[in-house]
Amino acid sequence: MNLELSDEQRLLAETARAFVDRHGDDDAWPTMCDAGWPALLIPEEHGGAGAGLLDLALVCEALGRGPIGSPLIATGVLAALSIALAGTHEQQDRWLPALATGTTIGTLAVLEPGMRDEWDEPRMSGADRLSGTKILVPWATRADVIVVVTVDGLRLVEMASANVQIDEHAGLDGDPLAAVTFDSTVAESLGTGDGAVTVAVVLDYAAVASMAYAIGAAERALELTVQHAKDREQFGRAIGSFQAVAHRCAEMRAEIDACRYLAYRAAWALEHATAPSEAVTTAKSYANEALRRVFLHAHQVHGAMGFTTEHPLHRFTQCAKAFELSYGGTARHRDRLATAMGLGRRA
Amino acid sequence: MDFAFTDDEETFRTELRAFLDSEVPDWWRGMFVDDERAMPFTRELCSKLAGRGWLTMAWPPEHGGSGASVWKQAIVREEMWAREEPRGPQYMNLNYIGPLIMRFGSPDQQARFLPSMARGEVIWCQGFSEPDAGSDLASLITRAEDRGDHFVVNGQKIWTSYADAPADWCLLLVRTDPAAPKHRGISILLVDMTTPGITVRPIDTMAGPHEFNEVFLDDVIVPRDCLLGEQDHGWDLVVAGLTFERVGIARYARAGRVIELLVEYVNDAGLGDDPIVRDRLADLYARYEAAKVLNYRAISMQAAGEVPTIEASVARIHNTQLEQAVGHVGLELLGPAGQLRAGDRWAPLRGEIHRYWTRNIPSTLAGGSLEIQKNIVAQRGLGLPREP
Ligand SMILES: Cc1cc2nc3c(=O)[nH]c(=O)nc-3n(C[C@H](O)[C@H](O)[C@H](O)COP(=O)(O)OP(=O)(O)OC[C@H]3O[C@@H](n4cnc5c(N)ncnc54)[C@H](O)[C@@H]3O)c2cc1C
Repeated sequence: MNLELSDEQRLLAETARAFVDRHGDDDAWPTMCDAGWPALLIPEEHGGAGAGLLDLALVCEALGRGPIGSPLIATGVLAALSIALAGTHEQQDRWLPALATGTTIGTLAVLEPGMRDEWDEPRMSGADRLSGTKILVPWATRADVIVVVTVDGLRLVEMASANVQIDEHAGLDGDPLAAVTFDSTVAESLGTGDGAVTVAVVLDYAAVASMAYAIGAAERALELTVQHAKDREQFGRAIGSFQAVAHRCAEMRAEIDACRYLAYRAAWALEHATAPSEAVTTAKSYANEALRRVFLHAHQVHGAMGFTTEHPLHRFTQCAKAFELSYGGTARHRDRLATAMGLGRRA
Repeated sequence: MDFAFTDDEETFRTELRAFLDSEVPDWWRGMFVDDERAMPFTRELCSKLAGRGWLTMAWPPEHGGSGASVWKQAIVREEMWAREEPRGPQYMNLNYIGPLIMRFGSPDQQARFLPSMARGEVIWCQGFSEPDAGSDLASLITRAEDRGDHFVVNGQKIWTSYADAPADWCLLLVRTDPAAPKHRGISILLVDMTTPGITVRPIDTMAGPHEFNEVFLDDVIVPRDCLLGEQDHGWDLVVAGLTFERVGIARYARAGRVIELLVEYVNDAGLGDDPIVRDRLADLYARYEAAKVLNYRAISMQAAGEVPTIEASVARIHNTQLEQAVGHVGLELLGPAGQLRAGDRWAPLRGEIHRYWTRNIPSTLAGGSLEIQKNIVAQRGLGLPREP
């Protein structure tokens, strides 16, 4: 056992963090592409870096500190991993190098109205033509290619030539989400089979990457909170000297640490363990609830100021909420976890 | 002991509900949305309520009330809060600004300020908090210099809800004697918001643009006859006023309504038999009932002529955390689509739950933070020593 990051990973994390400190709000995507981050999970033979999920998670964690929104997870995980796992050689040759450089932006359309979450059965069907609406599709607004989950398997829709209507959602401040409506839209099969195994793996990867992003946001919220607890004086002393306030800060520290190591372990497990979903689902079950508590504390310590949009805290809060509501809620993951623990098996 | 409302009270609730069902329009979403119709609507509704004797019904007849029981007043609060307070800012007038003037105001002040409140014609705001005086309200520094027949006020207030409504008057807390110990030397002024030197700047929030404001006061002249109560002894009024305020809001009632919305939603979605959904909603409901019964305890004390202090704080500890729990669990039950806001066509329950979650992020801060409530319970209620 060794929970230290390697020298390369530490360097990657530092680079990403320096990048975030430099960038603020401007469109950071070209620089992220130059740094090779969309390529991290893509195999080397397709122009990728062939790195691991932990590397990507470290980058996502840094981005969450901004927070810097980007199509990194949509392109580098949702689209790239779907195509890398399920696509034919031709499809991989066609799309992966372009996704690796970030010149092409991709995403995955899973949810439909009436589906409880990403693990629910999709209803959309169709072989080379698709009709119907997918909702909450991240970065569909800028996507060049969308992988669509249907009951009959994965489909690939090339946006340039397709008849597709994109309606951006009014959602949380974070990754742009959109409803994507197909109307007899031309689509091709992504590989063969029903794609269910691919989708399950991709969702697990995306859950970990988005968790890392939310953890970065939480860490930054903790820094803001601690700073505020030191600077803000009431009753003639720093509010951080009241135990009620100090303990909230300490609980944030303890919760974020737990989330971080559960997330790192999940990232590691997806590439090394025989039953990786258990680690992912453990981390997600824990982090959904823990980050909720973390942000309750952050807002409480900030006082009314933290509720204004003039203060940055609200942006991190919204990132964490978006994470909690995506890739499975607590009930879903606790249920998966209970199964992984062996519940329900008869003696 | 009797946990039921009387027949008379139940009849009144039915009448009030019918009235509100016909009067409150479908678009009404409370005061904090960006909708030009909101303010005129609240004014119109308040004058209609006044016409029926339902606005200041618990006030004594000599001040324009009908001396109704505090329980009827509580029914009004519940029905209003469940519908996102269609009285807008005017609930503050009847809950504590009016009662403060009744108790501490001169006969002239009572004659001047109470009738317009009773008719539902006037908007007041509460100018207490300052940038450096939040929980430690008594450290406020907005200065009112005594110039004989008037005061000259300089300073800044913050988080002033409804100032941009625009409010007509402000219950303003000022320091009249900077040399005195901090709880002494504070006074309350009744300030006409159109007085030269007052600038209102809205502060944008997570819940939208009309939640609260900064109010700048620059050489604002306030006549002496607008001093409420004794000069330098305003803190006693603040303590009395905040206690009225704490029992004056039926926050649990909106939580109860949101729980009902969630029940409808999960039933429509075919999830009413899902054991986890049932568990989550039943838990919220039990917490809602706990908050409600504790509010009723505080009201019962008022009915008996006592002043609930610790009990008001206990009720508030429940109310505000209930609101946050309902928001969080509500979004969880909606799943990924819980991310969608009002206005998005795919937003479940028209984005209501999302808005409720957002709005209640600071509910454990407004009107005295959770920690301050707990300190009241620990120190005054349980006799524990103060933090060193
Ligand atoms: C929605 C909303 C509406 C409002 N409307 C009005 C209004 O109309 N008029 C008005 O005057 N004000 C209004 N306020 C202001 C409100 O009264 C203050 O936000 C509140 O008193 C807390 O002050 P603060 O925000 O400065 O936080 P602070 O006092 O700075 O508190 C920050 C944190 O420190 C904690 N803390 C402080 N002192 C202690 C202590 N002794 N022990 C333990 N913990 C402590 C607090 O609990 C909190 O968690 C409103 C606030 C909100 C959120």
